[in-house]
Amino acid sequence: MSQARFAISDPRHSSIRMWVGALLIALVFSSALLAPLIAPSKTLLWPVPVNLEAINLPPFSQGHVLGTDLLGRDILAEALWGARMSLVIGIVAAVTAVTFGGVWGALSAFLGGPIDTLMMRCVDGLLAIPNIVLLLTINTILSAGSFCSFPDWSLRFLKVTSFSSGYLPLFTVIVVISATTWLEAARISRSKIQSILLEEYIYSAKALGIGVLRMLFRHLLPNAAPVLLVEATLLVSDAILMEAGLSFLGLGLGPSTPSWGSMLTSAQSSLIEGNWWAVMVPGVLITTTVVGVNLVGEGILEGQGGKRQAA
Amino acid sequence: MLELLLRRCLQAVPLLAILSIVTFAAVLSLPGDPVDVLVGNAQKDMDPQEIQVLRQEFGLDKSPVEQYLLWLSNGVFKGNLGRSYKDGRPVVTIIQERLPSTIRLVATALILAFAVGMFWGLAMVALKQSQLGKWVEAVLFVTALILYSAPGFWIGFIALTMAGRISAFGDVPLLAVHAAGSPPLNPMVAFSALSYVLLPAFVLSLRRMAKIALFVRTATLNELAEEYVTTALGKGLSRVRVLTRHVLRNSLAPIINLAGLSLPSLLGGSVLIETVFAWPGMGRLAVESTFGRDYPMILALVMMYGALVIFSNMAADVLELMTDPRRRDAYLSEIEGARA
Repeated sequence: MSQARFAISDPRHSSIRMWVGALLIALVFSSALLAPLIAPSKTLLWPVPVNLEAINLPPFSQGHVLGTDLLGRDILAEALWGARMSLVIGIVAAVTAVTFGGVWGALSAFLGGPIDTLMMRCVDGLLAIPNIVLLLTINTILSAGSFCSFPDWSLRFLKVTSFSSGYLPLFTVIVVISATTWLEAARISRSKIQSILLEEYIYSAKALGIGVLRMLFRHLLPNAAPVLLVEATLLVSDAILMEAGLSFLGLGLGPSTPSWGSMLTSAQSSLIEGNWWAVMVPGVLITTTVVGVNLVGEGILEGQGGKRQAA
Repeated sequence: MLELLLRRCLQAVPLLAILSIVTFAAVLSLPGDPVDVLVGNAQKDMDPQEIQVLRQEFGLDKSPVEQYLLWLSNGVFKGNLGRSYKDGRPVVTIIQERLPSTIRLVATALILAFAVGMFWGLAMVALKQSQLGKWVEAVLFVTALILYSAPGFWIGFIALTMAGRISAFGDVPLLAVHAAGSPPLNPMVAFSALSYVLLPAFVLSLRRMAKIALFVRTATLNELAEEYVTTALGKGLSRVRVLTRHVLRNSLAPIINLAGLSLPSLLGGSVLIETVFAWPGMGRLAVESTFGRDYPMILALVMMYGALVIFSNMAADVLELMTDPRRRDAYLSEIEGARA
């Protein structure tokens, strides 16, 4: 049989998909970077001014290319500044989650025995909670406990005063998201490290009497890095979606800080007045970013010959 | 088969135990106890002795371990997981009221996602075979990719606004407020309740639907590369027959497993969708309790969700073992090996 009767998934297509994904990400990143040039702002925490005399304007009116939202804020400017917030949250949360999860999984695999069982059972138990519910629970715990227990210097460092909550919401949102997403990373890291532990160079390192920390950070984690990197990429998209969900529930960044999630939340109420642009712009941007990140992540994964756990 | 089921059930017990310990520890670590929340600002006007009595009533004078065991034994043996801080009613009663709504929503979404997703995936594979169909397949693929990546609640409130504007839907009360906990008894009511659930369930299912479609597409395309497909085609069987009888059967087991694993994400998504559609289910209860700092409620909800997910994962595993003889044989011989 010289010719296949069925078209099989073509490796060429996967590289095309990866390039499309990279292009989408590059577009979003460049718009985030160009925000101060396209829509200059005076203050950092409130970059897009409110103008109650020009609310819910249609696109291309009075210098507002994409119109304005229900508080008269320019949608284009908000979307550009929001891109910064959403990307920062996505990337920082993903990196934090993969770092913590990676070390947790590596330690678990390396120590083995009952400690391994206990550590992984904790992960399994927490994984059984749907992630939004876990997000809500961690949010409750953090918001009840953190304000009282944070030392003064850290509050000063985070620029929290009695009048403004400053960067604290951003910090909390990132902590909450990474506290939810590290579980998947821990599982992946553990299974990878377990296979690395069977390599010969690990035996020789052990024979040389190497310390635990040196073993972890010199031999195990660097060799698991490619797998963890892919996981981090895919987690960025999860984190961006989670930020949007948290904001929508009213637990994310405040309405004064533009992020795609908070834009969606405030735009929801102007939808009844027919202001579709305020809803479509952030939604389409979130979708574009997530499609881009997923395409690149899956592409790299396919190149490595692996597959993400179907869940 | 029975032994298999029992084994899987036993595996779920330690998971639930760890889940309960972790969540209980988290709630205990919070500042303030039930008495502080109940009494609130009135605390300074009250007799300290009265507060002491209240503390004893809640069992707060005991050590954390004793408190946990008390909570556990009350919960497991008496079905009493404490009272809600918000209205003082037993937590279990409130969850019982909300659970049916959530199950109705999630079950409809699961069926929709599975049925449409399967069809979608197979249609993509079938269309990919012809020159013209390739373009249709590309459109379907991109649509699935977009639906998989879009935030569900965003699609939710767009769908809600659009449905509200289309007059054909005018008769259907989209934001039907049916009282929580009153199950529709007569069949007509039950039928009309179905029309309430369709839109939210459809929106909820979209993400999973896309995921299942993409998964079925990849799984089936990989299966098509196998040699038995060539043999079947060589025998002169039609492509449709090969696809439905041979290929689908072989790729069915992982797909069923995926459907079982869909429950956590559907339950998670239902929290947001219930908020968008004002659906009186567990998800909205979770959001309300988060805002109200209703700790016993949150604790009970986390346990409830955890139990639902653990048992659905178990069901998925068992279903996969039942549908795939290869997996079953491997599993059974593993048990035999462990015994020997």
